[in-house]
Amino acid sequence: MADTSFQLKGSVVTTFILELYQYSREDFTQQLKDKISQAPDFFLQSPVVISLEKFENNELDIVQLLDVCREFKLQPMAFKAVNAKFEAAIKLTGLPLLSDTATRSVSKESVAPAPQQVIAEVEQASEYRRSKVITRPVRSGQQVYAEGGDLIILSQVSEGAEVLADGNIHIYGSLRGRALAGIKGDTSARVFCQKLEAELISVAGHFILSDSLDKTLQRQAVQVYLDEQTLHVVAV
Amino acid sequence: MSIFDYFLSNKPNSASLAKERLQVIVAHERVKRKSPSYLPQMQQEIIEVIKKYIAIDDDQVTVSLDNDDNHSILELNVTLPEK
Amino acid sequence: MAEIIVITSGKGGVGKTTTSAAIGSGLAIRGHKTVIIDFDVGLRNLDLIMGCERRVVYDFVNVLNQEANLNQALIKDKRNSNLYILPASQTRDKDALTQEGVQAVLNELSESFEYIICDSPAGIEKGAQMALYYADQAIVVTNPEVSSVRDSDRILGILQSKSLRAETGAEPVKEHLLLTRYNPSRVEQGEMLSVEDVVEILAIPLVGVIPESEAVLKASNQGEPVIFDESADAGQAYSDTVARLLGEEVDFRFLEAGKKGFLKRLLGAK
Repeated sequence: MADTSFQLKGSVVTTFILELYQYSREDFTQQLKDKISQAPDFFLQSPVVISLEKFENNELDIVQLLDVCREFKLQPMAFKAVNAKFEAAIKLTGLPLLSDTATRSVSKESVAPAPQQVIAEVEQASEYRRSKVITRPVRSGQQVYAEGGDLIILSQVSEGAEVLADGNIHIYGSLRGRALAGIKGDTSARVFCQKLEAELISVAGHFILSDSLDKTLQRQAVQVYLDEQTLHVVAV
Repeated sequence: MSIFDYFLSNKPNSASLAKERLQVIVAHERVKRKSPSYLPQMQQEIIEVIKKYIAIDDDQVTVSLDNDDNHSILELNVTLPEK
Repeated sequence: MAEIIVITSGKGGVGKTTTSAAIGSGLAIRGHKTVIIDFDVGLRNLDLIMGCERRVVYDFVNVLNQEANLNQALIKDKRNSNLYILPASQTRDKDALTQEGVQAVLNELSESFEYIICDSPAGIEKGAQMALYYADQAIVVTNPEVSSVRDSDRILGILQSKSLRAETGAEPVKEHLLLTRYNPSRVEQGEMLSVEDVVEILAIPLVGVIPESEAVLKASNQGEPVIFDESADAGQAYSDTVARLLGEEVDFRFLEAGKKGFLKRLLGAK
C-alpha cells in the first residue's frame, strides 16, 4: 500500500467577520485605520471573512475593498452572505463564497451541535497545551508570544513591551505593558497579573486600555476575563 | 591661595580653561577637515625620525597645511626641549 | 582575559562619557590596567573629557581599517600610567564598525589590559549595539526622569537579546544600575523619582548614585575626570561605585538633602 499523502479533517476555525453596511473608499479607509490603530499588533495579519449580509448598496468595488483591507495588513480569506449581483466579481478574486450556514457569529445565534467527527478532533487537540515560561523581565520594545498554549512570566512586563498567548497569560510581577490572551479567538482565556499598571489588556480581540481601567484596581493583583463579550477586571 | 580667593567662586577659572582648550581644538579640527588624509601619517613619521636624534614628546611636533587662492603651504613646527 | 564593561543608557546626555572617564580612571587608580574606548562614530567626546584632545593622532576606525596599529592610536593618560584611551573617529562611516573588526581589537587589547571600558554613544543604532555586543558587564546610566528610565529599560532588553552572551546562551551580561544627576531635595519634595522608584521599574542591582554636582562641569572644563577631585561629592560617589564594582560592600552616600552650613556656603563649597 502506498504512503498516504494527506487526510481530510473536519475543523472549527474562529476568525473576525467584517460586516459591511456601506462602502466609500475614504470613509472605509479612515474608519478601518481608526479601529486598527487601537491595537495594531493585534490586527496584524488577521484573517477576516467579509460579510455582505447587511450591505445595502447596489454597487461595490470588490477589488478596491480587498486592497484597502490588505493595506492595513488584514488578510481577507472569504466572503459570506453574498448577493447574486456580486458573485461574479468575487469569483474573479479567487476567494471562496461561504454560505450563511457555513459561518456562525459567536454568541449571537445558538451554536448548532457539531458533527461527531469535529468534536473528536477538537477534544484531542485540547488535551495538552504547553506553557511558555519566561523568567526575566520583558523589556520595552520586546515581544513574547506563546503559540498554542499559556504564557507564564516570572517577572515584570515593562511599559512598551508586549506579551501574547493563544491561551492564558500569568504574570507574577507588574504588568506595565500590553497583554493579549486568547489571540486566536479562545474566549475562555484569561490574563492574571500581580500588579496592574497595564497599557492594554485583551482577551480574544476584546480589549481595554489603561484609561478605562478602574482606578481602584491600579497596582492590585487582578484577573481579566471575557463574559458575554465584555471584559471583566476583578481583584484576585 | 589668599583669603580673597576663597571668596571668589571657582567658575571663571575652569570656564576660561575650557574656552582656551576649545578654541585650540575646534580650530585644529576645522583645519583637519579640509586637510588631506596623509597628514597624520606624515606627522607620525616625522616624529619618529626626530626621536632618533632628539628625545621629544609627540605633541611637540605639528604639521599643518594652509591653503589660499594661489598656493598651499605645508607648515612644520618642531619645539625642541630646553637644554 | 580582560573584563569588558559597557557604559550605556539609550538616552543621550545622562552622563555616559563622564561615567566612563570616572570609572576607567577609578579602576586605574586602584592599580588595574584599564583602557577606555570611545565607540561613537563621528562625534568624539571621550578625549575632551579626559583632557587628551590634543594628543589624538589615530583613532578607533583607523585601527579597524588597519591604517594604524593599536600602539599608535592608544593615548596614555598623563595622570596615571595604568590608564589608556582609544579615541573615536570623526568620520560618519558607520560601516567601518564591523563585528569581526571590533572583536579583533578587543582580543588584542585583552592581551595587555585587565579592564576594557566601552563608552557607548546614545541611541540603539550601530555604535551603541557594537559597544554592548561583547560586554561581560553593563553599567546602565540613568537619570531619575521618565524618558531616561524608559530608554534604559529598552537598552536592557537589547542587552538581553542582542549581546554575544545572549546569542550564544552563555551566562548573561551582568547588569548594574547607575543613577546620575540625583537631587535628594527634589526627591524629598516629591518632584523627582527616588532611587527606590527607579530600581523598582528597572529591576536590576544598583551599583551607584551620583548626586547632581557642579564638580562635573568643572571637571569637563578642565579635562580632568571628576573622580580625581577628591573633595567633590560626585567624585566620591564614583569612587564608591568603583569599589562596589570590585565587589566591596559600601554604604550609599549623598542620598539625603543636607543643610549646608553658613560658612560652607560662604566659601563656595560644592
